[in-house]
Amino acid sequence: MITYIVRRIFQLVIVLLGVSLITFLIMFAIPGDPAQLLAGKNATPERIAEISAQLGLDQPLYVQYFRFLERLLSGDLGESWALQVPVIDLIKEYAPYTIQLAVAAVLIELLGIPLGIYSAMRQYTFWDTALTTAALIIWGIPVFVLGVFMQWFFSLQIQQWTGIDVFPLTGAGDMMLGILPGSWESLRRLILPAVTLGLIEVAYISYMQRASMLEVIRADYVRTARAKGLSERQVIKRHAFKNAVIPVMTIAGIDLGVLMGGAILTETVFNRPGIGLMIYHAIGARDLPVVAGGVLFATVVFVVANLFVDIGYALVDPRIRLEA
Amino acid sequence: MPNRTLEVKDLSTHFFTQAGVVKAVNGVSFGVDSCKTLCIVGESGSGKTVAALSLMRLVPDPPGKIVAGSIMLGERDLRALSDAEMRRVRGNDIALIFQDPMTSLNPVVKVGKQVAESIVMHQGKDKAEALRMAIELLDRVGIPDAAARANQYPFEFSGGMRQRVMIAMAISCNPDVLIADEPTTALDVTIQAQIMDVIRDLQTTCNSCVIFITHDLAVVAEIADDVMVMYGGRTVEYGGVDEIFYNPHHPYTWGLLGSLPRLDCKTRLTPIAGQPPNLITLPRGCPFSMRCKYVRRECRDQWPELEIVGPDHGVNCWIPVDERRQLRAELDYITSVCVSDVIT
Amino acid sequence: MPADGFEQPKRAEDVVTPLDGVHGTFLDGVPDDTGTAAIEGYVEAARKPEGFRAETWRRLKRNRLAIVGLCIIAVFAVLGIAEEIAYVTGIGSGEPGSGYLAPYDPNAVNYTLSPQGKGSPPSWSHPFGTDYLGRDILSRTLVATRISMLVGIIAVAIALTIGLILGPISGYYGGWLGAVIMRAADIFFAFPYILFVLLFMTVLGPGLWNVFIAIGVLGWATYARLNRGSVLSVKAMEFVEAARALGASDLRVIFRHVLPNTMAPIYVAVAMGIGGAIVTEAALSFLGIGIQPPDASWGKMIADYLSYMWAGSWWMVTFPSIFLTVTVFGFISFGNGLRDATDPKLKE
Repeated sequence: MITYIVRRIFQLVIVLLGVSLITFLIMFAIPGDPAQLLAGKNATPERIAEISAQLGLDQPLYVQYFRFLERLLSGDLGESWALQVPVIDLIKEYAPYTIQLAVAAVLIELLGIPLGIYSAMRQYTFWDTALTTAALIIWGIPVFVLGVFMQWFFSLQIQQWTGIDVFPLTGAGDMMLGILPGSWESLRRLILPAVTLGLIEVAYISYMQRASMLEVIRADYVRTARAKGLSERQVIKRHAFKNAVIPVMTIAGIDLGVLMGGAILTETVFNRPGIGLMIYHAIGARDLPVVAGGVLFATVVFVVANLFVDIGYALVDPRIRLEA
Repeated sequence: MPNRTLEVKDLSTHFFTQAGVVKAVNGVSFGVDSCKTLCIVGESGSGKTVAALSLMRLVPDPPGKIVAGSIMLGERDLRALSDAEMRRVRGNDIALIFQDPMTSLNPVVKVGKQVAESIVMHQGKDKAEALRMAIELLDRVGIPDAAARANQYPFEFSGGMRQRVMIAMAISCNPDVLIADEPTTALDVTIQAQIMDVIRDLQTTCNSCVIFITHDLAVVAEIADDVMVMYGGRTVEYGGVDEIFYNPHHPYTWGLLGSLPRLDCKTRLTPIAGQPPNLITLPRGCPFSMRCKYVRRECRDQWPELEIVGPDHGVNCWIPVDERRQLRAELDYITSVCVSDVIT
Repeated sequence: MPADGFEQPKRAEDVVTPLDGVHGTFLDGVPDDTGTAAIEGYVEAARKPEGFRAETWRRLKRNRLAIVGLCIIAVFAVLGIAEEIAYVTGIGSGEPGSGYLAPYDPNAVNYTLSPQGKGSPPSWSHPFGTDYLGRDILSRTLVATRISMLVGIIAVAIALTIGLILGPISGYYGGWLGAVIMRAADIFFAFPYILFVLLFMTVLGPGLWNVFIAIGVLGWATYARLNRGSVLSVKAMEFVEAARALGASDLRVIFRHVLPNTMAPIYVAVAMGIGGAIVTEAALSFLGIGIQPPDASWGKMIADYLSYMWAGSWWMVTFPSIFLTVTVFGFISFGNGLRDATDPKLKE
């Protein structure tokens, strides 16, 4: 088990190095001069050259990369061109909101597990077909489309009908305890985006859980359990459940990793502060350091989350835990 | 007077699928006396496994169904039991050992716990006591260092060891009937021999009767008291093991025997021509008629009635007895002088 | 071991449990032990042995949702092709490079159809309504199909090509080179895809071709990995072939059944990939960094019309959204169905 963890950490380091390299290459090595980007459309060549020097773009590529890596490792993600503040500060400011949204969405999506199991147990019945079809359809809805319509219906229409602004359209509330919503205001603004994200993921998870469950139910060892005289319920509880749920938990864990990196589409639609929205504004302003910083942050979080998921899986599955 | 532990009469199990009705088991009757071993022989698809599952009422209900017959365990009619009562029978009065030991154990539960599970459930012992009994059982089936091994997971066991675990699980509640569904097919020959030892050992201690399903006649020769030959969902011949080997009456049985390689004299391996039957489109008569060398008109149209040809030896075949004896005489591998023990 | 002499039908290990998606397969519920696994074997043997394509199609047909998906894909593919042809040849506008196949000119501004600048709701003459400039939304939506289909196909083609090169290299040569390529794939997988594409687009700038490149170039890893897998299986086959002499019929089995099966995941990935590319383009355009006017895509339309929704003009956003969702659903359904139909574990 220890060997496994060590090996995975080693892989992680290599992957992160590679990530930094690719990010660097995208920023500085493809056509599309960053200095030009920064200087704007009407800049003079002298201005561009000045900025170039400032950014260190006149150096050979590998020197640039090492400088880049150096800065990264010391936590320096550069400075926002538009806002003139260190990118890392921006990230620190927005991350809690994103984490809050991510956790909320994942909690909601865990509902997919009982749904999937229920569906699998009632295969061929109307409910199973209905749920599975619904899951496929919802899974296919692009998240920003769903977000728009959720907003339209729940925010706008409810407000029009009842006059009460139940789910306000913008913001995230001011008071937060760490990453918990610290007030009703916060909560109100969390619900709709979280449900939007969560709904699509619930569809996906329930579909996967159903598939996993169906496979486990057909397994030989489940048949053995039945042959021992266990009731169907005991069979599910003691033998099928664990084996069916574990793979799906890993999906949820990975989701958490992805979302923590910033659910940019959701945050944009709901105009909710977070890493995603930060990146969105930066795109509009062609603020490369912020975009790159945000992407790097999201990637690192994702990769680390994957590591934790793998370790969690290893803990649960005795075959890996005991390193046979 | 041997008593009948299990008596099955006219069992029929069909699967109702979109493509048609699969008549997996069709009017099969057999019985086992206590302390005896019945071998059910046939190729894959002859219905032997479905018959075994039917005894336990483990046939998945859509699409399978036991459509006819009676299954008497002692005085009890198993088909008449409620679901709850049947669950008490499974693992307790009748136990089943499956074919593939690699996948028949739950990979995330410790082995000792899996063996103890039946004990806890059927004998009402507490977990600690059940675990102790489980360790004893593991020891009994020949797993070394049983106490330590009980604390391990299935992946830490080899195929042969896993099958021993399955056997331990099956005998844990002293079932009246132990069904072994091709327990050695998935194992190496050397491991097979070991498992056969374990089973033979069980036979001698005689706590239950054994139904051993196989397609391997060599295995049958080793451990059977009685043999039932199945083909296409029907029983084509049954009898004591000596009768079947030395006095076989059905052409299919001849075919099976003919394909056994012999060490004592030179005979050619004579395969049975043709393909296994499609169980949806079975002929109304004998399922073997599509492949039988000696087929005649009646064979396809009507299922031959049971004909007793010896003590406790019956066959279903349209060929008249004398003609059969004649045909058999032409098969040198059955009547040849170098009959030595295929059975060792 | 078994010396019965006659041909053994497939055993439980070969014919595995039937499982299904939403469709009911033929022998569902039949336990996968020897007796009934062989039943499946018989039924299958009773049919003529069919090739991979025929078998896949047969299994696919059973999955109603997948067939629905396929129909959707067909409809939109035809529409997309038609629009592309129109665009190139100039149908409707008279000028190549701006043609369209729609009831109205998608770019025809008509303020009278947009009272208060809010467009007009669906009506008989304009089934999808008009936008804030009075342009017919049905026409715009139809024309936008072209972009979406284009992106889907070209982006996936790029990714597939790169994958088709790097994957087999990695699989065939193995060793250091193979490992490096796979590590590179790992690195590309590490990025959350849409953010990755966003970064790329930020540097490249918006525009149709940049979208193709971004989505395509960054998506090679999936196809590389899959291709490597199939090359590895073939290598294993060759090794086995060298190790024992296979009869001719076995070789035929390999080529008819095994090899196409190793390609199956790639087909599935392509189906899902096209759906994914379409969504990604829509997302990019929604965020403002995708295609630019005069090109129109569903995502761009949604972004442009979003603010009008709050003003009450719901129809502007709705119809492109529906087209987008339905298209994506089609690809996902079909991809899922294709996966189920080619999964050896789900063999009937």
